[in-house]
This record gives sequence, C-alpha cells and structure tokens, in this order.
Amino acid sequence: MAYGSAKMCLQCATCSMVSTCLFRALKFLSCRDSRVKQESCQWPKGKTLRLEIPGAKGFTVTGTEEGFRKLPQDTPGDVTIRFKSPDDAFRVFTGQIGIAQAYAQHRFTLRGNMGLAMPFVRCVDITEGYLFPWVLARRILKRRPKKEVSTARVYLAVLFGR
Amino acid sequence: MSAYYEFKLPAKILSGAGALEHIPHELEGLGARRPLLLSDQGLEQVGTVKVVQAALRQGGMEAAETFCHIPPDSSIEVVNQIASLYRQTKCDSLIALGGGSVIDTAKGVGMVLAQAGSDLLDSAGCEVLPRGEHVPFVAVPTTAGTGSEATMVAVVSNPAVQVKMEFLSYHLLPDVAVLDPRMTETLPPRITASTGFDALVHAIEAATCLQRNPVSDSFAEKAIQQIVRALPLAVKNGKDKKARMAMANGSLLAGAAFSNSMVGLVHAIGHALGGVCHVAHGDAMTILLPAVMEYNLDKCRGRYGELLLYVAGPEVYAATPEDQRPQKTIDTLVALRQQLAEQTGLPTTLSQTGRVKKEDFEAVARTALNDGAIIVNPAEANFDEIIGILKEVWA
Repeated sequence: MAYGSAKMCLQCATCSMVSTCLFRALKFLSCRDSRVKQESCQWPKGKTLRLEIPGAKGFTVTGTEEGFRKLPQDTPGDVTIRFKSPDDAFRVFTGQIGIAQAYAQHRFTLRGNMGLAMPFVRCVDITEGYLFPWVLARRILKRRPKKEVSTARVYLAVLFGR
Repeated sequence: MSAYYEFKLPAKILSGAGALEHIPHELEGLGARRPLLLSDQGLEQVGTVKVVQAALRQGGMEAAETFCHIPPDSSIEVVNQIASLYRQTKCDSLIALGGGSVIDTAKGVGMVLAQAGSDLLDSAGCEVLPRGEHVPFVAVPTTAGTGSEATMVAVVSNPAVQVKMEFLSYHLLPDVAVLDPRMTETLPPRITASTGFDALVHAIEAATCLQRNPVSDSFAEKAIQQIVRALPLAVKNGKDKKARMAMANGSLLAGAAFSNSMVGLVHAIGHALGGVCHVAHGDAMTILLPAVMEYNLDKCRGRYGELLLYVAGPEVYAATPEDQRPQKTIDTLVALRQQLAEQTGLPTTLSQTGRVKKEDFEAVARTALNDGAIIVNPAEANFDEIIGILKEVWA
C-alpha cells in the first residue's frame, strides 16, 4: 500500500514536471517551428483545450497568432483530455507510449469536439520529436518529424521557460 | 497489435428468419411498451416500415409513434427534434429501422435522452458520458454495411461547420440488434454493392489499425471472409437469402470489430468527403480503399499478407509466395471492386461521383486531418499526402 502510494506520488510529480516542460516546449516551438506555428495561428479563436491528469498539474491552452498561451488553471476547456489514472499519464509523459497508442489503449477520455483536439495532438507529436531522442521517439511516433530548430534551443526554452 | 485493449461485445443479436417478430418480447424484457419507431421515407414507401409494424402487432405491441423523416445524412438538429418528439409522445424505447443514418440518429437521440439533455452537441466526445437513464434501444439494419447495430460509434452531421461529428461511448450500443433477411432483400444492387464495400472497409481497417487486438482481429477476419464471398452473390441476386444473411452477419461482425479497434485513414478521408462534398459514405469507401492500402503498405505489409487468406481463400493464399501476398491482397480487392462496378455502376474514382471538384481537395484534406480516425491509422498522413491520395483517386 505504502509502495503503491509512493509510486503514485512519484508518478504525479513526474507528470506535473513533464507537463510543464511540454507546455514550455510547445510555446517555444509555436514561435519557431513553422508547423506548430501554423497550427497555433489557425486555432479557432477563443477555443480552449484542457489537459487533466488525476493528482497532478495539467494545463489549459489556447492557440493565438503569437503562439500557444497558457490560461489560468481553472479555465474550462472547450475540449478536455483527461487521463484515466496517473499511471496512464505517466506512460505518455515518460515516452513509453505515444498519444496514438494512448488513444488506442483507452488511456484517456475526451470531452468536446475531437476535431479541436487533433491540431494539439499533431503539435505534441512534433514536440516529442524534439524532446525525446529518436531511439525513444521511434516507439511512440509514426515517423520522425523534421527538426526546424536545434534540440538544444528547445531544451534551453524548457529550462528557462522562454 | 495494441499492448492493452478493451473490448465490449455487441448487443444481443437476433439473426435469421422471424427475428422481427421477437422484438416485442425483447422490449418487454427491457421494461418497455411504447416504442418510438424511427426510419426514413424510402423505407416507408417500399413498405418495410409496415413489415416491422406488423411484426410488432403479432407480439401484441404497437409503436407509440413513428417518425420516418430521417435524411440520408442526418444532423444534430434532426436528433434534437426527435428527442423532443419522444418526450412529447411519452415513448419509453427506441426502434431504429434503417441504414447507418437512421441507427446513428437513434443513438444520438438515446444519448440526449439518457443525459436528460436537449442538444446532442453537449454529449460530444470520447468515452466521457455516464450511462444516464437507460433508454431501451432495438436496431434493425436494412443495409449490410454500416454495422452500426454493433458499434459504440455514432456519426452525425453538423451542417454549421460542414463536418461529420463522431460520438464514441460504450453506452451507445443498442440493447438488441435484429438481422432479418426480409429487411435487406429489396435493397437495389447498386446500394448493396456500396454498403457492402463499406462493411468490407470496416473489417480491413479494424484488422490493420493501431487499436487492433486479438478479439477484434477474429471478428474482422471472419467478416472479411463472409463479405468477399457473399457480396457478389447478393449483388447478382438480391433474393438470395443465404447471401443476404451472410452479408448481414458479416456487416455486424465488421461493426463489432471496428467498434473496438476503430478505423483509419480511409474513414478519415471518407468522412471529410461526406462532410464537405456529400459523397455517399459507401462510395467514398469504395473509391479510397485500394489507394489508402497502398499508402499504408510499408507499415502493414505483414498484416496485409495474412489477410490474403480471408480475402482470396486458402488455395490462392497457399499458391502465392509470402513476399507477394500483401500486394495480392490489394489486387484481389481491386478486382472485386471492378466486378461490382461493372455489375452496378459503382464509382471507382472521385470524378465519377459527380459531387467532388478538384477545388474541394484542400477543404477535404483539412477536414480529414482533424478526423479522429486518423490517429489510429498505422501510417502518418499530412496535408500534402492526403492531397496526393485524393489526386490519385480522382480519375
């Protein structure tokens, strides 16, 4: 029991940390990578997407012409992706499975119009292509996304938050 | 194959002659006495609705209300309208008699009622809804194509944004699926071919996409075997009851397979062609399948090779060298499509549909990219690649 809850705490902490890193990378790439930038610019005006992780910090985002923007934590999502358990989120955030596999394995639920979530999924795939080394990413991505900026710059953006 | 899977078995199935007459017994078992019978005008005109009404009377039951104005591409407005009618007429259950549009509309109505809501859009999403109030639901398919009687999926148009919206929930599954040979025997050869090919695409995509699992594979493989054998026979002679029942069962098996393993790029582009250009779903499937299989070939070589056994039979499978089996599977399906096209005038290119213009390609590709089915397609497809597929199937 104690081991179980320690494991869950560790998973939740990891998910909170990685979700912050993921958003920072996404925000950076939405200004520097043409594909992520395009998705952010074409994002339906004012629509929000919320990512929820039980027991961990998620985020709510919206796309703008200036890139992805984080909204206050309690902002409701027009689309909400909610992982069914911390373990499910942990698998995704540690690169054990990709978004496609997580969807195929019923690891999350989606409330709202799935069409609005798809651009976000494409951006996450591109971001994971930068964040994970290809030896890891090849298990979770259908193909290697072309890098338009150096991985080092993405990591710096993740570390310093800009 | 998916490392973790979930599978919900389909509804109770009543399959064979006399199945319709068992509907009252099933409804009573579900605590219902006042069904709302949903259908379309075509089925009302050819007398199919009357056959079901007569079968209900034999069991001592009458439909409390009958609504036969469901259009081929049903919309959210129609769903909401029927939900109001259900409440006004104090019905206690739903019978959906028709093809995919009617059954999916009924699923939408059931969802609105179960959630005590008034707008289907409030229920959009994937596996998010609680069961809510149980609305007994009997599905009677009149085409052997959508397999909707065995799926957790409903596709309903949202004309405001020219998109076919997908609703996914295990609670959408009907309580009872009724396969009665009387329901499909008047289906014209052209529609038999188009809807039958749709069922075949369900089975092939279910057998190859990322969400496939051992249970869905067994459903999909049996479905492919049944459909490729029975479809030409059902097209040639609509009164062939054996072929019609094989198609009905094959379609249901394919539905149960893809309900649990989902479909891929053929459906993503097909839904977009339906939403943007109003191409009939079965026609879009027929046109797209070989091109998308070629597109996915590198990722699915092994699986396509295995499917040759079900597509062409054991003799052809055994006589074909292993490395040639994947392409042979595609070639066999192209030959089947050509045979059906010659028999019925089924379109094999987008230009033949008369509904698509080349200028629509960009809107179709953009819509397809945002269709949920694309997630589980084995190969990634971007905007340019979808345009490439559309160009390939143009003429």
